[in-house]
Order: sequence, then C-alpha cells, then structure tokens
Amino acid sequence: MLSAVATQTGRSIQIEFDHFAAEAESHSEVEPKDGPSPIVPEIKELAWSAGAFIVFAVLMRFVLYPRLKQGMAARYSSIRDGHANADAIRAAAKADVASYEAQVASVKAEANARIEAARRTLEEEREVRLAEANARIAARRESARADAEAVRSAGLSELESAAGDVTERLVELSTGLRPTESVVSEAVSASMLEGAGR
Amino acid sequence: MLGLEFPVINEVVRWVDLFPTFNKIALIACEATLIGTVVFLVAGAADWRVAPTGIRNLAEIVVEFIEGLILETIGPNGLKWTPHMLSFFIFIYLCNVPGIIPVVYMPATARMAIPLFLAIIVWVIYNAVGIKHQKAGYFTHMLWPPGVPVFMKPLVGLIEFVSNILLRPFALAIRLFANMLAGHMLLVTFAILTEELVQGDSVLLKPLGILPFFMLLFITAFEVLVGFLQAYIFTILACVFIGASMASHEEHAEAH
Repeated sequence: MLSAVATQTGRSIQIEFDHFAAEAESHSEVEPKDGPSPIVPEIKELAWSAGAFIVFAVLMRFVLYPRLKQGMAARYSSIRDGHANADAIRAAAKADVASYEAQVASVKAEANARIEAARRTLEEEREVRLAEANARIAARRESARADAEAVRSAGLSELESAAGDVTERLVELSTGLRPTESVVSEAVSASMLEGAGR
Repeated sequence: MLGLEFPVINEVVRWVDLFPTFNKIALIACEATLIGTVVFLVAGAADWRVAPTGIRNLAEIVVEFIEGLILETIGPNGLKWTPHMLSFFIFIYLCNVPGIIPVVYMPATARMAIPLFLAIIVWVIYNAVGIKHQKAGYFTHMLWPPGVPVFMKPLVGLIEFVSNILLRPFALAIRLFANMLAGHMLLVTFAILTEELVQGDSVLLKPLGILPFFMLLFITAFEVLVGFLQAYIFTILACVFIGASMASHEEHAEAH
C-alpha cells in the first residue's frame, strides 16, 4: 500500500506518494511480525513441497530407482552365475579327483599284483635254488661220508692187521707156540668190538 | 531472578522469505529433492560389477531396507511400490535432518504442509489400490469388517468411515508433524535456557548453563534417531495401509 501526503495551498492540493513507506509495507508483508500459524499449512509451502516431492517421486519412479535396481539385479545375477560356475567347477574337480583316485587305486592294485607275482617267482626260484643247494650238499656229504668210511675201514683193517701181528708175536713169545691166524683174528675182532662198545 | 522470555510458536517457526513465496520450508523441500536425486544419480553411475562402496552402498542399503519393509507388510506383490516408498522415506528423512543441522535448524516436516501433502498422497494411493483390487467391495469390506452383527452395522460403518477415510490421513500427517515440531521446540527451549543462564546477570546461575547445554546436545543426538524413526514410521504405515487395501475380504477373514 502506498502512503500519500496531501498539502493544500489555497485552492490547489498537492499530493506526494511516499515510496519509502510503500517499500517498508511490502517488506513487512514478507516478514510478518506474528509469523505463520503452527497448525495451518501455508499455501506457498504446500505448493513448493508438493512440487519438490512430485519431481522427486517421478524421477525416482522412472530414472533413479530403475537405474540403480538394474545394476543391483545385474550384479546379483552375476554373483548367482558365479556361484553356479563355482558349483560346476567344484563338481568337475570332484569328478577329476574321483577319477584320479580310481586311477591311483588301479595302479596300486596292478603294482601290488606285480609285486606279489615277483615275490612268488622269487620264492619259487629261491626254493628251487635251495633244493639244488641242499641236493648238492647232501651229495657232497654222502661222498665225504663214503670217503670217510672207506678211510676208516682201511684204517681199521690196517689196525686189525697190526693188532693181529702184535698179538701173534706176543703169544708166540709168551707161549712159544704160534697161534693160528683165525684165532688171532677172532680175538682181535672181539677186543676191538668190546673197545668200540665202551 | 531469571526472567525467561520464551517466544511463541509462531515466532519460532517463522522464517523470512528468501524471495516472495519461497521460504526455508520450500528451500528444504527443494534441497531434499536435489540431494536425493544427486545421491541416486551418483549411486546409479557407479560400476555395478564391483562390490558397492560409498554412496552406491548407502543407496543400495536404503533400497534393500525399503524392499524388506514392503515384503514384511505388503508381500512380494508390493515390490512394485518400492520407488514410491523410497521417495517417501528419503524425502521425509531429508526434510527431517535439517532440524539438527547448524544454521538451518529447522525440520521442514515441523510445518504442516509437507506431512499433510504426503498423507493425502498416501490416502489417494491406498484408496485407489483398494478400489482397483476389490472394486466396490473395498468400501463395504472397509466399513463392515467380517463378523459384525447386522444391528451394529450402522454404528460400526460410521466409526470405520470416520477412522479410515477421514482421520487416517490426518493421523498420519499429525504424527509426523507433531513429533518433529515437538523435537524442534525442545531444541529451542534448551537453547534459549542455555543462552539465558550463560548470558544472564546472575554470576551464580552462569555455571548452571551447562545443564541445559548437555540436554541440548542429548536432544540433538536424539533428533537424529527421531528423524529416521519418523520417516520409517510414515513409510511403514503407508505400506500397511496399501497392503490392507490390496488384501481381499477372504484374506482378511483368513488372517483373523
């Protein structure tokens, strides 16, 4: 509202508008002394808030949320794919491990069979060799025993002959009679048998 | 004696227009839209292939939080409402937070305009959803829940009409508005008390200024929680109302 100052000079009236008062008045409208009601919503606040919210809601509905959600969905999908790949790789690795273990078991079984066969062959060969060695030892022992028996028989017969000669000479010297060869031989044999029996 | 001059509420919530029709509330509302938009634009521009960090992580946490809220209240069918509920939650939270930011010190929701507008939007949405899903049965189901005796139907119908159609949006708006205004008034109260005690003439009372100052700090910290909580409560109630509108009469009966 403008203020005006009216001045009457004689029959004329001079009117001056007070612009400073008008400015102060308009300023007081911008800054009300009482302030707004704490309960009743002000139209200007309602309009600005509604506009701001509607803009935000529309942006969120058509731009902001779809863009973010698309990225989230893509990442979750990629993570799920990664999990699926990891599961597949794990399963393949498990199959490989099982196959490897089967191969190792097969090789181990084959190795054991070969070791067992070699062991059996070795055992048989050892027994054969042992039998051969035992046979050779037995033959040699028999031969040695025969040789020893022959030597002993020869020694014994020599001893018997010597003992017969000695006995015959002793009897001849003591009795003056020469004993018969058969008597001397029997006596020597009997005494040698008695000596061997002790 | 301490003469404490406490301003009336009108003075506390008054703010000089930055330019005609554009005041602090309008500024905060625009700033909330701007910050929310920029945060989500930056988050959306980040590389999705790598593990989210920083702003993208924050945005995804908020999205998942709201999706969890919707799944609990509406169910999987309600996930299409995620952007709308995100808008409610983020806008309200960003309008609440300036109440504790120095210089600004004004939650925009401590004025009735924003809570009322948002509550009206929720009212329109849940009624439209109810009509879309249940046709005319929406109003009969709402006014006369199952099991109401015939002679009680007029009274129950009147009560349910007043409760669901008239009072519910106002309750939603006033819950947010009153909580934020009360928090703002508490901050103002303890700030004025601290100032009066510290700058007062009485030397004996000056040290006592530390007590309201600590309360001011405590309530400021508490307002951080309240700002989040009020945004959460508004959003979850919006979800509950929409979920209730989507559920059919039979589903209501099964739930009971």
